[in-house]
Amino acid sequence: MSRLLPLLTLWVLGATAPLQAGVGEAAYERGDYVGALQTWRAQAELDGVTAELLSAIGNAEWKLGHKGRAMVCWERALLLSPRDPVALAGIKHALGAGGTDRPTQTWSENYAAFLGADLWLILGALGFWGTLLAVLVPKLRRQPMGDWTQRILITSATLFALSIPGLYGAYTLASRAVVRRTEVPVKLTPTLLGEALNGTAEGDVVRTGRKLNGHTYVTSADGKGGWMKSTELEPIWGGALPVNLDQPQAP
Amino acid sequence: MRACFAILACFVATSLVRAENHVTWEITPPVCGPGQPFRLKVTIESDDALGPANQVGREIKPPRGMALRFSGQVFRANATEATLNFSGVAPEEEGNYILPAFNARFPSQMVLVPAITLIVSNKTGYRKEGRARAELVLPERTFYVGEKITGSVVMRGSEQETVTGTFGLECEAGGFTFQTEGSSFTQPLQDGHGLMKPFDLTPIRAGQSEFNLSGIMLVNTGDRISSLNISGRDRPFNFRRKLTVEHVPETGRPADWGGSIGKLEVTPPDLSNRFPEVGEPIKLKLTLVGEGNLERIIAPEIPGTDTWDIALASELRQRRSEGRRTFIYTLVPRLPGDLKTPAVRFPTFNPDSKKFETVEFVAVAVKVSGNAPAKVELVTIDPSAKLGTPAAKTVTGLLTPTVAAGVKGVAKIEPLAASQPFWLSNSAALVALLLTTAIISVVGYFAAHPEFLIRRQARGNLRRARTAAQYALRRQDYAAYARAMTQGLRAGTAPLLNAEPLALTQSDILRALPTASPTLIEAVFLTAAGEKYGAKDARQTIAEDAQLQAMLNTLEAQL
Repeated sequence: MSRLLPLLTLWVLGATAPLQAGVGEAAYERGDYVGALQTWRAQAELDGVTAELLSAIGNAEWKLGHKGRAMVCWERALLLSPRDPVALAGIKHALGAGGTDRPTQTWSENYAAFLGADLWLILGALGFWGTLLAVLVPKLRRQPMGDWTQRILITSATLFALSIPGLYGAYTLASRAVVRRTEVPVKLTPTLLGEALNGTAEGDVVRTGRKLNGHTYVTSADGKGGWMKSTELEPIWGGALPVNLDQPQAP
Repeated sequence: MRACFAILACFVATSLVRAENHVTWEITPPVCGPGQPFRLKVTIESDDALGPANQVGREIKPPRGMALRFSGQVFRANATEATLNFSGVAPEEEGNYILPAFNARFPSQMVLVPAITLIVSNKTGYRKEGRARAELVLPERTFYVGEKITGSVVMRGSEQETVTGTFGLECEAGGFTFQTEGSSFTQPLQDGHGLMKPFDLTPIRAGQSEFNLSGIMLVNTGDRISSLNISGRDRPFNFRRKLTVEHVPETGRPADWGGSIGKLEVTPPDLSNRFPEVGEPIKLKLTLVGEGNLERIIAPEIPGTDTWDIALASELRQRRSEGRRTFIYTLVPRLPGDLKTPAVRFPTFNPDSKKFETVEFVAVAVKVSGNAPAKVELVTIDPSAKLGTPAAKTVTGLLTPTVAAGVKGVAKIEPLAASQPFWLSNSAALVALLLTTAIISVVGYFAAHPEFLIRRQARGNLRRARTAAQYALRRQDYAAYARAMTQGLRAGTAPLLNAEPLALTQSDILRALPTASPTLIEAVFLTAAGEKYGAKDARQTIAEDAQLQAMLNTLEAQL
C-alpha cells in the first residue's frame, strides 16, 4: 500500500495537472534542482526517456551531489544520442572537475559512437542479408549474376565489412557500468572479505567482465582489474532512470 | 661629599637587588584517577647559577592520602635552570588536593616552589585493577550518506594488564566504507594506560544497518615493575551497533552545494601574482580545512565574469589525515585596472546542527596592467593564443539543458542486440533460406542426374523379385519362381541398358551378364512363359537357384 500511494498520487497529479513545457528548465534556472528533478522524473515516467531528458536529469542529479546517478543519466543519454551536447559537457565536467574516472575509448568504440549501437546492428544486418541474397539467389535460379546483383553484392559486402568494427565497438561500449556507491573497493577475489586492491569513487565508469559469486570483474580507467560487488554497479545499458540503491527503512 | 653618597647609594642598591626566579610545574597526567600514579616535574629558572638542590623532599608535606617522593633532579654545572622530578600516587578520593609550597635549597640560594594542585577525578577512565578492555568511540547520532565519521577503538589497560598493541581490525558493515590510517597506526592514551586506534567510516547508503567491528589487542599481564614476570596474550574484542543513515536533507539545500558534510573553515586565498598583465594567467589557491569529508567534495564551480576567465586547473590531494583540501584555479584577467578575484561561497552541511552553513573565500585585490583588447571575447585561457584572432571558448561546467515537451521516449534503453524478436526473426529467416537452398540444390541435382533414381528404383524392384522368388520356392510353385526371377533379371538389367524392363529378352540379359549361362537364362524365361511356349519341367530351373541368385547379386552390385 505504501508503494501504491506515491504512484496513485503521481497518477492523480499527472491527470489533473499535465506537465507543462519549461517548468523543469525554469526550476533548474532558479536553482531549484529538486523541483527540476521531480518535474523531469515525472515526465520520464509518463512519456519515457529521451536523450535530452536524461541529460537534464543528469545535470540536476549532479547539482544535488548524486555523482553516480548523474553519470548513469549522461551515459544513457549518449546511447540514445551519441552527440548530445549536454551529456558530453556533463561527462567532460565530471571527468575534469568532478574527480570521476572513465576508461579511455578505443578506436573501435569511438567509431561505434559515431552512429550508435542499434544503427550499426541494422546496417550490419542489411549488409549480411544483402550479401547472402546476392550470392544465393542467382545460384538458386541457376542464372549468372546480373549487373545489379553484382552492385548489390559489392555494396552489401562493403556495408557488412564496415559495420563489423562498429558492432565490436558497440559491444565493448555496452560492457561498461557506473559505480554507484562511494569508495567501493576493487577486490582481488570475488568474496565478501576479499583483499582490497584499490578503490573507486562514486560515478566512476568501469569496464565489466564475467560475473561470479555476486561480484563482477571490472577494469578501472587506469587499467587495474579486480572484483566488485555487482550491487555497487549499474550497467549503462538496460535501464532508463537510475535505480534507487538505497536500503529500505528497517521495520 | 655628594659623590661619596652617590657611590654609597649605588653599593646599597646593588646589594639589595635579588635574583628573579621563575618556577613552573607539570603533572602527568594532568587529571589523575583515584589511586593513579603520577609524575610531577618542577622546573626552576633563575638569573643565577643554581647547581644541585639539597634535601628536597624534607620540607614537602603531601596532603592526606597522597604519596609523593623525590625521584631525582636534572641540573648542569653553572646552569641557571634545574628540574626536580617527583613520583607519587593520587589519593583514593575525588577532589582537588593542594601540595603546600616548599623550599628548594640550592648552593647559591633558596627557591620557593609555590603550592601545586592535583586534580583527582573518576572520569579519567583510569583503573587500578581489572582486565584490559576495549571501548568503541562513535558519535551517537544520525549519520548522513557521504560524510566522514571519525571513530576510534580505545583500549584501556590497568596496573595489572597493559595494552601494548593491536592487530587484525576488521569491519563488516553493509552500507559503509571503513578505512584506517594503517595497521600499525595507534596513539597512546593520555594517561599512558592504553592505546587508541582511530578509523574513518563513510556511509554509502541510507537506511539502518548493523556496524560490526572486531579485532585483537595485545595485552601484557603481570607486574609492570618486574620485567621478569611479564607475559603477553591476545585478547579479541567485538562491537555491534545499529547505525541510522539518512541522505542530506534536500530542503534548504543550496544550489551550489558540492557534497561537503562537516565543520569546515576557509584559509585566506593564495594568489600567485597580484600584479598580472591582461591575458596573463595567475593561480588562485583555495584551501579548506576542518573536520569533514574533504576528499569527497566536488570542486566549486566559479563561472567566468566580464573581467575574468576562470578554469579549474588542478587539485592538491592531501592525505586523509591532513584535514585540508586545496583547489587551484587559473584566472586570466580580461581587462586592466584594479580588479578583485571572485569571492567563492562554499556551502557545507553541519551534521550536528543539521543545517547548511556557508563559508566564503574572500575576494583578493589584483592590479592588472596592460591594454584592453579590441574585443573582450578575444582573450582566452590559452596564453599562446593571439589577441587578434577569434578563439572558441572552452566548454567548462554543465550546459543548460532544454527538454522538449510531449516527445515520446523509450521506457527502457535496451540495445537492439538484446532484442529476442530481432535475433529470432533473423535466425528463422536464415534457417529458412538455408533449408530452401539445400532442398533446391538436392532436387536440382537429381533432376540433372535421373540415373540415380532409376537405379535406386531398379534395386528395389530386384530385391522385391528376389523375395518373391524365395517365397515361391518355399511353396514349390515353380512357375511363380521363374516369373519372379525373370522380373528380377529384367529389373536389374534395364538401367544398365537404358531400356524398359518388359522389353528385355534373354539376349539383353546376356549383354548385361556376359559370363552368365545362356542355357539357364533361356530355361528361366521359358519356364516363366511356359504356358505360352510349352516349357520343360520347371524343376530343372529350380535346381539352378544358386546360379540365378548369383546373377541377381551381380546385377545389384552393378546398380
